[in-house]
Parts: sequence; structure tokens; C-alpha cells
Amino acid sequence: MKPIERVGLTLQHKEADRVPVYPLLCGVSRKLVNATYPVWSTDMDVCAEAYEKVTDAFDLDVICTLIDLSVEAADFGQTVVYPENEAAHPDIKNYLIKDIADYRTIEPIRLRNAPRMSGHIQLCDRLVKSKGADVPVVAFVFGPLGILSMMRGQSHMFMDLWDDPEAVKHGVAAITETLLEYVDALAATGVPAIMLDTLYASQSIMSKDMWREFEGVYVQKIADRIRQHGCMVMIHNCGNGIYFDAQIEMMKPTAISFLHIPDDCSSYAEVKEKYGSEVTLIGHIPPPWLLSATDEEVYEECRREIETFKTGGGYILATGCEYPANLSFDKARIIVDAAKKYGRY
Amino acid sequence: MVLQDINQALQRGDVNGVKQGIQEALDSDMKPRVILNEGLLSAMETIGVKFKNNEVFVPEVLIAARAMNAGMELLKPKLVETGVEPVGTAVLGTVKGDLHDIGKNLVRMMLEGAGLTVYDLGVDVSAEQFVAAIQEHDPHIVGLSALLTTTMGEMKSVIQAIEEAGLRDKVKIMVGGAPVTSKFAVDIGADVYAKDAAEASTEAKKLVQ
Repeated sequence: MKPIERVGLTLQHKEADRVPVYPLLCGVSRKLVNATYPVWSTDMDVCAEAYEKVTDAFDLDVICTLIDLSVEAADFGQTVVYPENEAAHPDIKNYLIKDIADYRTIEPIRLRNAPRMSGHIQLCDRLVKSKGADVPVVAFVFGPLGILSMMRGQSHMFMDLWDDPEAVKHGVAAITETLLEYVDALAATGVPAIMLDTLYASQSIMSKDMWREFEGVYVQKIADRIRQHGCMVMIHNCGNGIYFDAQIEMMKPTAISFLHIPDDCSSYAEVKEKYGSEVTLIGHIPPPWLLSATDEEVYEECRREIETFKTGGGYILATGCEYPANLSFDKARIIVDAAKKYGRY
Repeated sequence: MVLQDINQALQRGDVNGVKQGIQEALDSDMKPRVILNEGLLSAMETIGVKFKNNEVFVPEVLIAARAMNAGMELLKPKLVETGVEPVGTAVLGTVKGDLHDIGKNLVRMMLEGAGLTVYDLGVDVSAEQFVAAIQEHDPHIVGLSALLTTTMGEMKSVIQAIEEAGLRDKVKIMVGGAPVTSKFAVDIGADVYAKDAAEASTEAKKLVQ
């Protein structure tokens, strides 16, 4: 069975030949093309080649185009630092939004003036053409509140939510306008799904009501637009106590990529029971744990997760967040092997 | 009554309310230690419990911490005048290469709320800077934070540098951050792993007893 058939059946909550698998091999793929992180992040030909090679080398069932969480913020004018061996990040000494009043200066930008987002669109276009017939390509987009925090700094933005909520909402609304055009262009490449990273929709960060108010209502518009193009909406959130219910209500996702147990469940078995027929569950191997886990422990964790979630389809084995960018590929190979070994229907 | 006002204002993150309450309390000759313990610290303890129970979240804790700091600015000179000693001292920082500060800031706030004096070295802190801060401040606790899998290994380098400087026996080392686990803490030779800021506070109180 081709990955696209396997994943297609899985997303319809049917049992395919086996559980699909994709440890989120993103930044680590740069090693396969001998590229530095800055080159991999900014040269989309290199990035595409890396994604193609890693997909082939590990029989990945999904390509998820996560580059870094600064892609969108950079195009709004945030200065970004590109370290040699880790993901790009905002220059914390030079945030674009320096004062609470600066939120009101944020305006929507056009994609023609957005080199990093345009690069990501090109990446998706190339991957859909080169791999899309066999492997589903999922475009990764950061949520509007997350993007705003990259331009202000998280601590300041979280306090601003209390100090001047309307100013923050102005920024989120402006970013949302841009993201609507962005998802239009991504959908036009032929990707079957767009994954929105709603980083703050969990107990790790803010209340459910606050998330609804400051991101939910905005990301709802983006999700609606994605569906208008016939694309599936997927969610990624690696927070603790993730708000499945609020996000399902507002975004109607086909799948949720998660790491921790949602706030309204007490076990992973309950997650399957409560949400397994509503959304496809993607996860939830902890990436940091892979750094110290033995091979046997990784096999066992994968087996345990597969046993918990595989019945009736609707489950993809994956890491709950990006695979460690500087780890060897050994653990990734084990994860894929485990899906083939334990995930058969 | 004024102590309750300070307590409530701090929990709301109301900087002006906290400052006004403290000034009022000082003007009425209330002892600084009482204002600290029953006004500020008890409020922070309540915030800590609510945070642990998911009744308040990071934004609420951050504005409460800001109100606490504003209150302490006003109160600190009076505490020094009256000879009130902190219960302990901690040096905190996010390790080199890592720029995330929320978790570390929450820990700082919780430790300050527990009555410790905290020297916050910020983010992207090198092993040498940790060693220098230990030599300068002679803390009971050194807290290391990391959010990334690419930087958590730096914690081991910090501990090695502390050992090489001959300071390991003088401090207890606490580690935490999203990717950090208790197993990792043991592997790198830390004394304590704290899974969140509330636990860091609980553990810190035990360490300085």
C-alpha cells in the first residue's frame, strides 16, 4: 500500500495495512544533504531535497513541512537569527514590537513581500510535484498568536493580554489576514492538508477562554478558509493539557498531532475513547526522551502507543513534536520499524 | 484589612493596588516583615497553588509576579533596615544557546514567593557565568533551565564547570524545562528535578531548610 492510500484510509478511520508513521524528521533532515541549518532553512531547493531524501530513506508516510517557528514573523519584519546547528529564532534583543503601543502598527502583508512564506509555498509546490502522488504533503503554518509572540516575546505578550487586550487583538487580526492569503497559496500547490500550530491552546500556557478570545476566533477563520479549498485542517500542539474540545469545536480538524494528554482526559486510552472516532490522533512519542532512551525502550514505547490507539484506524504513530534536530537517525529508524512490526492490522 | 487588600491586588496583578496597599501599611507603622509575609508572600503562595491546580495560567502568574516585584521595590529598603533575612538564596538561568525565559521566570517568581533571594542571570547563560555567579552570591541553590533538546545537554557542561571550580559541594543543583526528565537529571548529576515552577518552589523550600 502506498503511504497516501495508507494515510487516506487512516484518516477515514479505517484500518489500512498498518499504522502509518512519521517521526517529525524536519531539521535533522539537513544532515542527509550536508547542509547547515541556515542553508536548510532558507534555500528551499536544499530543504526540498532533504525532505525528499528523508522520506525515501525512512519510508515516511507523511511529509510535514515544518521549517521553524519564525517563518511568518520574519516576513512581518522580525529580525531572525539563524544559528548553525539549531532552528532559526527571533533576535530576542530586537523584537519588532518593543512597546505595547506597537501592536497597532502591525498590518497585513502581501505574499509578494514575504520571502520566507513564499519560500515555504515553493517548498510545498516542489514536494507535491515530486512526492505528492505517493506521500501526502502537509503544509505547516504557525498560528497567529504564536506568530505575534515571536515579534514581541512571550512574556511581554502574555502580560499585554491583560494590559491592553484590544492592542493584541489588532496584531492577531492583521496576521490572520495575511495567513488567509497564505493558506490560499499553500492550498493552490495541491497539498491535501494544512497543519496549524496552535502553540498556546493548552494548560501549559493560558486558560481555554483566553485562548478562544485571543486566537480561537481568528484561527477559526483560517480553518474555514482551508476547508473551502477542499484541504483538511490538522492541528499540532505539544502543550501539556491541550484543549482538544475547544479546538475541535472551533477548527473542526481532521487530525490532531499531540504530545500530552488533553485537559479533559486522564489517560491516553481515554483520549482514544473520547476523541478517537472524531479526529485522527497523531503522536505522541516524546522527542526529548529519545535522547536518553535505549533502543528497546523506544520499541516498547511505540508498541504501547500503537496498542492504545490503532484499533479502527484514526491513528498515526509520530513524535509529539519535532524529532531532535541533532540526534542521530537511529531512533527514527526504530520508530518506523516499530510501526511496521507492531502496527499491522 | 490592608494586608488582605495587598494580597488581593497582587493576585489580580494590580501593580498600583499593591504599591498603594504597602504604602498604606508602612504609613500605619505595620512591620515590613508582616507586610512581606502576610501581604505579598501569602498571595504568591496562593497564586502558586492556583497555578498548580490549573486555576490560573502563565499570563496571570506573570502579572502577579510583576506586581510582586513592584511591591518588593517599595518594601525592600524597609526590610533591610529592620534586618529581615531571606530564607535562602538561588542563582537561576537558562543555559547557553537557549533563549527561552518563561519557565525560568516562573521559577524565579515562585522562589521569590517562597522567601528566597533570587539572582536571575537571564537567558543564554554560559557555564562560566554560572560559576562566577556562585562565587559572587554563594547561593544555596543553582537552577538551570532549558526548553530545547539542542540545549539541554549544556546543563551537563554547567555542572561539570561547577565541579571543576570546586563548588559542587557548596550548592544544590536543580534542573527543569520542557524536555528535561528526572532520568536526565540523574544522568547529568543534578540534585533535583522539578517538573514545573510550583514543584521547583516546593523543592527549593526543602533544600534551604
